[in-house]
Amino acid sequence: MDRNQIHDKLTAIFRDVLDDDSIVLNDSTTADDVDGWDSLSHVNLLVAVEKRFAIRMSTREVKSMRNVGDFIALISQKLAQ
Amino acid sequence: MDVRKFHLEQNNDATFNYFKLMKEVKRLGDLKAKIDRKVKLAFLADCATQHLTMLAQVIGANRGLDIEVYEAGYDTIELEAFNPSSALYAFNPDFIVILKSAEKLKHKFYAAPHADAAGHMVQHLSSIWNAIKTHSRATIVQSTFVVPLERPFGNYGRMLAGALDQFFTDVNHKLVEAARSERQVVLNDVDFLAAAVGRRNWIDEKMWALAKEPCALEYMPLLAHNLVDLIGSAIGKVVKCVVLDLDNTLWGGVIGDDGLEGIRLGDLEDGEAFVAFQHFILGLKRRGIILAVCSKNDHHNAILPFQSHPEMVLKETDIAVFVANWNNKADNIHYIQQTLNIGLDSIVFLDDNPFERDLVRKMLPEVIVPEMPEDPSQYIRVVAELNLFETASFSEADAERADMYRVEAQREQAKTGFERIEDYLLSLDMVITLERFNAFNLPRIAQLIQRSNQFNLTTRRYSESDCEQLMNDGENAFPFTLTLEDRFGNYGLISVVVLKRVDSELVIDEYLMSCRVLQRGVENFAMNGIFGLARQLGLTSVRGSYIPSKKNGMVKDFYAGFGFEKIHEESDGTTQWLLPTDAYLDQPALMRTGTLDFLSST
Repeated sequence: MDRNQIHDKLTAIFRDVLDDDSIVLNDSTTADDVDGWDSLSHVNLLVAVEKRFAIRMSTREVKSMRNVGDFIALISQKLAQ
Repeated sequence: MDVRKFHLEQNNDATFNYFKLMKEVKRLGDLKAKIDRKVKLAFLADCATQHLTMLAQVIGANRGLDIEVYEAGYDTIELEAFNPSSALYAFNPDFIVILKSAEKLKHKFYAAPHADAAGHMVQHLSSIWNAIKTHSRATIVQSTFVVPLERPFGNYGRMLAGALDQFFTDVNHKLVEAARSERQVVLNDVDFLAAAVGRRNWIDEKMWALAKEPCALEYMPLLAHNLVDLIGSAIGKVVKCVVLDLDNTLWGGVIGDDGLEGIRLGDLEDGEAFVAFQHFILGLKRRGIILAVCSKNDHHNAILPFQSHPEMVLKETDIAVFVANWNNKADNIHYIQQTLNIGLDSIVFLDDNPFERDLVRKMLPEVIVPEMPEDPSQYIRVVAELNLFETASFSEADAERADMYRVEAQREQAKTGFERIEDYLLSLDMVITLERFNAFNLPRIAQLIQRSNQFNLTTRRYSESDCEQLMNDGENAFPFTLTLEDRFGNYGLISVVVLKRVDSELVIDEYLMSCRVLQRGVENFAMNGIFGLARQLGLTSVRGSYIPSKKNGMVKDFYAGFGFEKIHEESDGTTQWLLPTDAYLDQPALMRTGTLDFLSST
């Protein structure tokens, strides 16, 4: 799965979990830029990403993510393992 | 939609179900708008509760409960409980959920091991309960602790009170013992839930580290369901009756075709599963659930196994209403409901046949109709996992209830032999007893107050401690119960009435009666008694009110029937009624009086 595919799948997950089809993500997007992406829904997003990409992220990896770009990079790295 | 039916439509993927429910959070306002039953729930926790409270509200709304939530700050259980002017008490909750995490308890144990650590822990919880009891009438919903995965001593840990895993088990054990002697405390058995899904699935260390979540998110709905089950039963939303199909539900095969020797029950093929299922059903009956049969069969065929099959666990006498005919099952369930005089929403229908289940769901949407698996070996699992039979209390009267309803069904049949209703009533040889609330009766009184919906004038849901206060107010409160007996048996406690002296009037504050005893003259007896007391106390009139609820339409004109004058009506339909003491004429009550005592509580 290349970066674009991961981006598209991640966007679909965000739209589904936050129940908002207008969400557009790019690498610099942070929680402040997306309505409904708060600390509560963040936990939901993590669970959904782990399930749908079938990966496990560590506590530290999760805590060190700064934006969507980091998120995609982390998923990409996990999928490659 | 009843969440227990909703539950059945979900697939088995817990994560999928979690997200499905979370999406409903957005529609919570719409869901709640149609509901008139409000419950106030406060959460005290040493873990995060936001996801849990959202789920509980959605699940509650799906089941007809508008749950209003107060969430105390993270890890502020003691601060809220011990401070009389805390936001917790200002919220005036009906229920206070205390949710304690295993992680925090583990930490405490490792930080300061102690020979009697478990005893100390439970004492501490008791002191929190006591503080709450002093400042609130709320029911306390106390969680048990999820026993951790780590076993520092391996299996040997069970031998040592000082081992972490045994410490948790001891805390749970002592917690249960402490809760048993508390009237205001019910247990939320989180450790059972964790064990049922597997503790290694339930415990999610990463979610704890990231967000202090008490369990893996995908199992949070189970925890929320369990809470709503508890709340529902505590406010009287309980299952009272199980209606059973026969062929391929209680035994394998078709009795009309296969005959007594041909049905599978016992050793043959899958016959053991049906025996086990019957044992499960019998256990429900002993717990006070009424059993009824609804089968498409000729009656003589349907009854045959009950009378003569050696492997039958259930006997004819276990079934309160036995309906075997060729009518449609919705009509038959309706008949069963009317004969027993219970709500449709308190009935569970178990049938292996998808057509019959679908028909009943469509025609009687209030009836709970679980999806049954094809393999009878899975019947118990599927029904048990729905946790349909939650109860907030259990007494001997409950154990006898199923049999009482059977006797009642016989009374219904006996009625047909009399020309005049008076002759029938006289033939019943009724003996009625009126007693002031007493310590012995309090639990049963509180239970009846929670359960009665239809014949209930004001639907004031007094708790057991409220009742105790009324009992002790000898000056101005006259709370009493009625118990009834007749030649068929004992009805037990059938009515609760709370009278209050206000200035020169006797006010009927609450009046409820079990619908099982309608039209026997019990209402007349009670009203004669009420006016007798008013005269005895020298009061000029009796005042009553009717507060409409979703279910009490039947008593809307109750006071008019006794000649009360309507003196006030509010926009929500609440009415006030007044009748001068000397204008009341005693009404016929064809029964003997056992005791009539408003004043002394034994």
